[in-house]
Amino acid sequence: MPASTEGDPPAADVPADTTPCLRTPGTAGAGDCRAEHEQWQRRLRLQRRLHDGASLRISALVPQLGVVRNRVPEARPDLDASIEELQDQLHTVLQELREIARVIYPPLLDLAGLAPALKEFADRVPVPVRVEVAEERLGAAVEGAAYFAVTGCLGDLRPGGPPVDVVARRAGAELVVTLTGVPPRLAVGVLDQVHGLGGQVRTSGDPEDGTIEARIPCA
Amino acid sequence: MRVALAEDGALFREGLLMLLRAAGHEVVGCTADGDALVELLTRQPADVAILDIRMPPEPDGGLVTAERLRAAHPGMGLLFLSHYAESHYLMRILEIGTEAIGYRLKEKVGSVDVLTDTLDRIADGEIVIEPVLAKRLVERPRGDRKEIVDSLTPRELDVLKLMAEGRSNNGIAGQLFVTPKAVEKHIANIFSKLGLQEEGSEHHRRVLAVLTYLRSQRAES
Repeated sequence: MPASTEGDPPAADVPADTTPCLRTPGTAGAGDCRAEHEQWQRRLRLQRRLHDGASLRISALVPQLGVVRNRVPEARPDLDASIEELQDQLHTVLQELREIARVIYPPLLDLAGLAPALKEFADRVPVPVRVEVAEERLGAAVEGAAYFAVTGCLGDLRPGGPPVDVVARRAGAELVVTLTGVPPRLAVGVLDQVHGLGGQVRTSGDPEDGTIEARIPCA
Repeated sequence: MRVALAEDGALFREGLLMLLRAAGHEVVGCTADGDALVELLTRQPADVAILDIRMPPEPDGGLVTAERLRAAHPGMGLLFLSHYAESHYLMRILEIGTEAIGYRLKEKVGSVDVLTDTLDRIADGEIVIEPVLAKRLVERPRGDRKEIVDSLTPRELDVLKLMAEGRSNNGIAGQLFVTPKAVEKHIANIFSKLGLQEEGSEHHRRVLAVLTYLRSQRAES
């Protein structure tokens, strides 16, 4: 195994040709990768179960309650209001389930892929974010790792920072994700997400306006 | 009203069917996938088609089905019901059409009144957008197009948000406790700030205002 900086925070002013390459101690072997893929598949199944199970049943209750409410005579406005209240509570429960599903594995990432999911997230970030991501689908593990690596990083940005570019493109057997305009110290969180798949992370540039590049092997 | 329905979840489909009938609507067809609905509607007229977004043909059969229905029956209203209120899907829906079209969460059309109000507004040619989503779009501006938002006053933002929900001027006036005249003035200001010229119908400019706004939220990269 090649020696590396073993996860130390990268020095800020390293020249581009000797950019630090972050890897974890004891780099992931083939077995770890399989476990990592299995982990992402589990997350995906869990998220889908939330949708296909509890959520579908709860949403089906809502129109049925509406039918019941419609049978209640006008003379009983109390019951009418209680049913409306019940329906509001069901909506709240569904919203909470959706939030949980989003944290486990975003449904939009599952259904539509990395580009739409990252664009949706970019809407919530307090600095301008440009997203340039290929439409190609890469499987639950690679898409999941790339999504959580990028969003973990974007989520740590503070208002008033420089505009950020997120570019993800396939280069041979790797997905190369480049974040420009971000503090290189956030590379540690990026590495946490991608190292299980055998991914590597490099950084360069200014402490507040640098570049993080992650390379994730794809099948 | 004559309504057709395609939804692959049997539980929700049966519940919605009962609610539609309780509301006095005529359900002319009810299928578990989009292709069957397209086939059925070649023989049966309907005023509004209700579509689940995530159904066969996979992955988002509701959208491809809607494109085919809009091409074959331009006058038919389309109501998307989904488990998710995402701006990604809203943009794709607005690409299919900006009139007589709606996008709502499944559990938010759970009463005869709301369901009928939603269907009536779509049949009248309006856009109906789930309030949760409209609110999120207006309140979470993208940084790079923030100047559009910044140039609007808080009251103009309130008006634009209600426009994005497909409300009429009177509806907006009622919500904000102001006169319809005041609403018209706010809308004129919004049109001017968004750079919408005085051509085309008021409705068309409303749609464009909402679209310009929504697009500014998701600047094409």
